[in-house]
Amino acid sequence: MAPHHAHNPSKRRGADLSAYATLSVISIFCAIPFFWVLLASIDGNASLFLQWPRELTIDNYVRIFMQEDGTRWVLNSLFVVGTATLIVMVLAGLGGYALSRTRAWWKRPFLYTILLIRVLPTTALIVPLYKVLLTANNWLGGVLRAIFGNGPAREILKYVGFIDGYLGLILVLATMQLPLALWIMKTFFDTVPRDYEEAALMDGATMLQRIRRVLIPLALPGLGAAGLFAFISAWGDFLLPLILLSSPDLQTLPLGLFRAFLRVNTIDYGFLAALAFVYLLPAVIAFGFARRFLVQTFSGGVKG
Amino acid sequence: MAVIELKNVRKYYGALEVIKGVDIRVEDGEFAVFVGPSGCGKSTLLRMIAGLEGIDGGDFLLDGRRMNDIAPDKRGIAMVFQSYALYPHMSVAENIGFSLDLKKVPKATIRKEVEAIAEILQLTDYLDRRPAALSGGQRQRVAIGRAIIKKPAVILFDEPLSNLDASLRVQMRAELQRLHRDLKATVVYVTHDQVEAMTMADRIVVLKGGEVAQADAPIALYHRPDNAFVATFIGSPRMNLVPVTIARAADGKAEVTAARLGAIHIDDSAMPLPTGPAQLGVRPEHLRLAADADGDFDSEILVVERLGVETYLTIGSLDQPIMVRVEGDIAMRPGDRARFSIDRQSCHFFDMAGRALPRA
Repeated sequence: MAPHHAHNPSKRRGADLSAYATLSVISIFCAIPFFWVLLASIDGNASLFLQWPRELTIDNYVRIFMQEDGTRWVLNSLFVVGTATLIVMVLAGLGGYALSRTRAWWKRPFLYTILLIRVLPTTALIVPLYKVLLTANNWLGGVLRAIFGNGPAREILKYVGFIDGYLGLILVLATMQLPLALWIMKTFFDTVPRDYEEAALMDGATMLQRIRRVLIPLALPGLGAAGLFAFISAWGDFLLPLILLSSPDLQTLPLGLFRAFLRVNTIDYGFLAALAFVYLLPAVIAFGFARRFLVQTFSGGVKG
Repeated sequence: MAVIELKNVRKYYGALEVIKGVDIRVEDGEFAVFVGPSGCGKSTLLRMIAGLEGIDGGDFLLDGRRMNDIAPDKRGIAMVFQSYALYPHMSVAENIGFSLDLKKVPKATIRKEVEAIAEILQLTDYLDRRPAALSGGQRQRVAIGRAIIKKPAVILFDEPLSNLDASLRVQMRAELQRLHRDLKATVVYVTHDQVEAMTMADRIVVLKGGEVAQADAPIALYHRPDNAFVATFIGSPRMNLVPVTIARAADGKAEVTAARLGAIHIDDSAMPLPTGPAQLGVRPEHLRLAADADGDFDSEILVVERLGVETYLTIGSLDQPIMVRVEGDIAMRPGDRARFSIDRQSCHFFDMAGRALPRA
């Protein structure tokens, strides 16, 4: 019966129609929260419900950046996540190359082991992680205080401290993102023939020239994809900055959003929505930039 | 000047010896082809000459200078890779000029040299394109351009035509030979295709299992193979090998008997063949259809391949097939019987280990 129906054009049109209708419903369901965020953020009178704004305003955005610490939160987030992404790209580039090119029995076990870091829930590890970082931080603080004295040491620790400092959060975020990036880069370099490097060797390129002129341009799509995943995932992380940061100057965007939500008086949905939109934007922009790298990386590597 | 000498060269992968003491000499300006089945070590040997693989034993001399420990780019050797290995992120001009750019040659000079090379290789219109926008033959020419811009004394080719279709391969064969005549560089060319080897080489080195099976001029390999391996590897379709027994006939000639084919008598008075079991090697083109009265043996025809200009007949039995090449179009059908004769002058004999038995 069914095959017979498939040949009937009017029935097929009906099936197509119901398929598209279902897909549309699902898309609307997924898109509505984003739509709500955008609408509420420019609504002078936003509420918990989806509504068409009666008066359009950019007051919420002005408040974020002028009255509140929005600029600082954005810069902190960009700095921490950007640096972590950069570290991930450099380490994954070098490590992925090494893992792809060396022949060793421990390669497979190693690759699966590092995936564990990714698989284990961060929440489960947070106590030992905090303990380790705290010990390191106390030791570092002791050294810095001995050299620079109390006041300057506190200022320096804001940058290089493991607890309530940029460095600790950057390193932990990078560590969480590194395994997946290593996998991506290792798989990517597997598709890059050695011939390119050997041709460059025959052409008289030094090690550095081979990396800079041949390997990095060839690896760019893979690095883009690995960097994108690292950036988006680290950008969305909330638990680690919550646990590791406490000073107001170090707050990142998700923390700002969280604290705004917790304020005692009535909840200002317009303000929250505007903040949420600011938080969404970089991830979307990063995706837009790196989309073609993704396609190239996951559909078959370098084409000569 | 570039004379290549390999002296007792060896290569190990772990405990496995892949190149087993190879001695090869390639004269200046010669076009040498390394040929052999896959796994014979021909590419490894080429990469050892290039410097991409280390030499574990023996010496590689270039014009008498030991090159074992010289860096690849300091040997004055260029290489064309099987995959071409064109940098996908550079234009054709940048690809060709890359080696000069690395040497900090001024941009204007590079441009001039690249244009001169492009002129020779008919790439002038494509200099600004990326490799991805070129055809297979054009990529091949870019790879050659990248090699010859270095003005190397030696150019190595690693199966350069294997990615091209048949007609382009014939055309590139001629182009490579013309290029070799013009450049006068010493060429070492690796292929598994014996037709490529026969048509292009001044000297062919046949490799088998990491050893030189025989090295000589192409036509000498065809006429005087040292062993059954070379005999069957060179020539297409391959030489027939038939187990025979050699005995001494009453008239003093050698009596060569093969099961099913009967006996033939061969005059070996100039250099008598040893009696006993041996292998008879006879090429398809040295077997003929004979008139019913004469001829050496008759056989059923198993397969007929009519190509127009020539016809291939498979005779004998399926477990011991014999290929016969007949000029022209022969209208025969499988199942027919016919009588065949063997060209006595072109018979080769090998002992049971495959070594050629000397003939006058």
